[in-house]
Amino acid sequence: MSRYLLGRTIALVLTALAASLVVFVAMAVLPGDPAAIILGTGARPDTLAALRAEMGLDQPVAWRYLEWIGGFLVGDLGTSYTYSVPVADLVAQRAAVSLPLAVLALVLSTLIAIPVGVYAASRRGRAGDVATMGVAQVGVAVPNFWLGLMLVILFALTLGWLPASGFPGWEAGLLAGLEALILPALALALPQAAILARVTRSSVIETLGEDFIRTARAKGLSGEAALWRHAVPNALIPVVTIMGLQFSFLLAGTIIIENVFTLPGLGRLVFQAIAQRDLITVQSLVTLLAISVIVVNFLVDLAYAALDPRLSRGGAR
Amino acid sequence: MSGVVRKTGGRRLPAASPSLVVGLVITAIFVAMALVSLVWTPYEPTALNILNKLEAPSLAHPLGTDFFGRDVLSQIMAGAQVSIVVAVVAVLVGAGIGVPLGALAAARGGLVDDVVMRSTDLAFAFPALLTAVIITALAGPGAVNAIVAIGIFNIPVFARLTRGAALGLWKRDFVLAARCAGKSDLAITIEHVLPNCTAVLVVQATIQFALAIVAEAGLSYVGLGVQPPQPSWGKMLFDAQTYIYTAPWLAIFPGLAITIAVLGLNLLGDGLRDALDPKVRRAR
Amino acid sequence: MSRLLEIENLRVEIPALTGAAPILEGVDIGLDRGEKLGIVGESGCGKSMTALAIMGLLPGAARATGAIRLDGRDLLATSEREMQGIRGRRIAMVFQEPMTALNPVKTIGAQIAESLILHLRLPKAQAAERARALLDRVGLPGPRFSLDLYPHQLSGGQRQRVVIAIALACGPDVLIADEPTTALDVTIQAQILDLLEDLVAEMGMALVLITHDLGVVEETCERMMVMYAGRVVESGRTADVFAHMAHPYTRGLFAASPRSALLTSAREPSGRKRRLAAIPGQVPDPRARPPGCAFAPRCPRAQDDCRAAPPPLAPLGAPGRADHAAACLHPHPPSGMAGDVAASAEGAR
Repeated sequence: MSRYLLGRTIALVLTALAASLVVFVAMAVLPGDPAAIILGTGARPDTLAALRAEMGLDQPVAWRYLEWIGGFLVGDLGTSYTYSVPVADLVAQRAAVSLPLAVLALVLSTLIAIPVGVYAASRRGRAGDVATMGVAQVGVAVPNFWLGLMLVILFALTLGWLPASGFPGWEAGLLAGLEALILPALALALPQAAILARVTRSSVIETLGEDFIRTARAKGLSGEAALWRHAVPNALIPVVTIMGLQFSFLLAGTIIIENVFTLPGLGRLVFQAIAQRDLITVQSLVTLLAISVIVVNFLVDLAYAALDPRLSRGGAR
Repeated sequence: MSGVVRKTGGRRLPAASPSLVVGLVITAIFVAMALVSLVWTPYEPTALNILNKLEAPSLAHPLGTDFFGRDVLSQIMAGAQVSIVVAVVAVLVGAGIGVPLGALAAARGGLVDDVVMRSTDLAFAFPALLTAVIITALAGPGAVNAIVAIGIFNIPVFARLTRGAALGLWKRDFVLAARCAGKSDLAITIEHVLPNCTAVLVVQATIQFALAIVAEAGLSYVGLGVQPPQPSWGKMLFDAQTYIYTAPWLAIFPGLAITIAVLGLNLLGDGLRDALDPKVRRAR
Repeated sequence: MSRLLEIENLRVEIPALTGAAPILEGVDIGLDRGEKLGIVGESGCGKSMTALAIMGLLPGAARATGAIRLDGRDLLATSEREMQGIRGRRIAMVFQEPMTALNPVKTIGAQIAESLILHLRLPKAQAAERARALLDRVGLPGPRFSLDLYPHQLSGGQRQRVVIAIALACGPDVLIADEPTTALDVTIQAQILDLLEDLVAEMGMALVLITHDLGVVEETCERMMVMYAGRVVESGRTADVFAHMAHPYTRGLFAASPRSALLTSAREPSGRKRRLAAIPGQVPDPRARPPGCAFAPRCPRAQDDCRAAPPPLAPLGAPGRADHAAACLHPHPPSGMAGDVAASAEGAR
């Protein structure tokens, strides 16, 4: 087990390093000198050279990479070209919106998908199954940014229950913050829930066909009890993997959704940074997001092993 | 003797898959709409008519008009062109690079396989849409860059799928026979392995096609897809957002178009998978 | 007084698109406490369906008619809720596939304790204690075989012992064992059968042993029935059936078993090895059964009247073998069996 963990951790670090290298190289080969962008086209060569030296741009590429990635290890993500503040501060400030949004979406999607999927599986082939899976089939096809607009039209403009856009900041109180996030989170969560519900359904159906379900029924368990005690726990193990994969979708989804709802999150930061050619911010932010996806997948693997005794406990014979 | 009947099961629906039929019909309509728009639309999609701006749906304009008085139906019809072209080319780019990579990994194994597989792992670490946004934003908006940005993330999908399917085939007897006959790995891949992967690849292509349509709409929505005046569904949604209070139908119809097109392709993919793989049909 | 388990005219059908197809027809079984009944037949003959019908666990759309009485109470007329109180408590079952019959993500202790908690309302600690005692009894002693083990940590034979412990947890009156040793290694098979026999004797249960192995039935069960295509074709005391083998199908089964090869090769003077005689043809699909005796197409003794209507299960009327019955119009005459078997095997080829 510890060997497995060690191997996985090494793979995690290597993948993260490779991801950072890919981002760094991609940004380095981009045309355009950051110093020239900051100073504008009319800058004098000597000021340009001075700024380049200050930004470390005159150093060899390999050294710049090492310096940048070394900074990562101590939480220094560089200094924003345009805001002249540490990128880490910018990220922390924006993550306070994006992270709760992604987590809320993941929670909502799970809370909706698993009961729906289990219900459909238990009614397999009958009206309840066909109806819920029909809705899920449509749900998978709905683009989340359009769903966001529709939710705004319904809940904000027509019913007036929730704000249409913007974010008051957490200083305005937990409730006000959540109110601003609930529609975007729903827009992100519902299409994901549709996918997750379909996965849950087929996983539960597969498990219900297993011999041990018959053993459970032969013990005297009701169909319902066999479903919840024996089928669902087993069926959810693969669902956890899908949830991990969805994290990546949700991260990408926030970037567009934050535009729909004008939320000051990481997605907006990416757009602003790109628009202003604040390349160091883009570079560090993308790397950070890639690393978080890698870490989440790593955690999912661990959770998978922990949930399935066949992986976590060796044979005794 | 008591003749009691215990009813243990309810009525079940027949096993035949309507997904395939419905998916096929929707996809055909979607393609036909794009083709028809090449020669005919109710109005010129890009024709401005400020006098008729923001009209609600009516007989003259079934889906209404936008802020510049352009006919929404005509725009949606013409917008299908962009969706199809960008999505098809992006999927072809992805498959064109991914399939050979996957086939190579399966044929050679060892280090080549490791390199290809670890590269796909790495690619999956980058959220696809986010990265597509950054690529188009930095390289400049437009159809070609959108295709490249979306196509890149199809490469690992096709590479993995092809490798998985091909690995199984390489163990089969007819491939062993071909090897014994002295055929090269390349010849075996082309003659025996790839033809037998077609079914799974076609199913996946359908699904990737649907994803590419959403991705294209997403890019256009944030202003990074095809540029005006060429109509595009994502761009229409972006424009509609400004008038969401006064003309909500502007936001409804392009999104419906995306949803229905994607739904049709997903149904088609499901139906094809069921039709091509009897094992899956049983599990449904 | 009513018998412990009494099945009368059991019929199971699956209303398929092409009309009702009977999976089982006219099955009668009587079983007393402490009695051991063997049911034999090829796969697809309805043995497992009979077991599932008794458990009330028939798949999906299958419907059962007739009567299945446990101590005089008709289980077919019993509500599903009440059946849940009977399953695992009064009737328990051991399955064929120990590798898949246990939930891989739950400990064996939890799986044994589950029915104790469900039926006997034992508190958790007490249920664990009982589970420990059960595991000890089925030959998985602690501390080596801890309650906290998971199924994948056990071998096939060990898992089957756990399945048996689950079945016995609440001291059922009837134990149905459906091919309990088929999936196991030959050396383990005998151990598991011995264990089952000991437990049945010790707890005074009735045993229904379903198998395709005639040898197992001869060793274990005092009564037996042979099933073919959803019907009982021969039944009686095991000794009587083996002594006579009235139905050609019973003889065919015997001729196809390794045991008969031993028996006959011993008699063969040339010493050349005789191949196992397989019964030609296969069990007909329930939707396409011939109108007469279902075995007629494969039967070396079949005549025209066999193809007219299915023959009823009728007593053979041999003196002192009152309940020996066969469903055959042209049964083998009671005579020296092994020679006949060889002959019928030749004829069948």
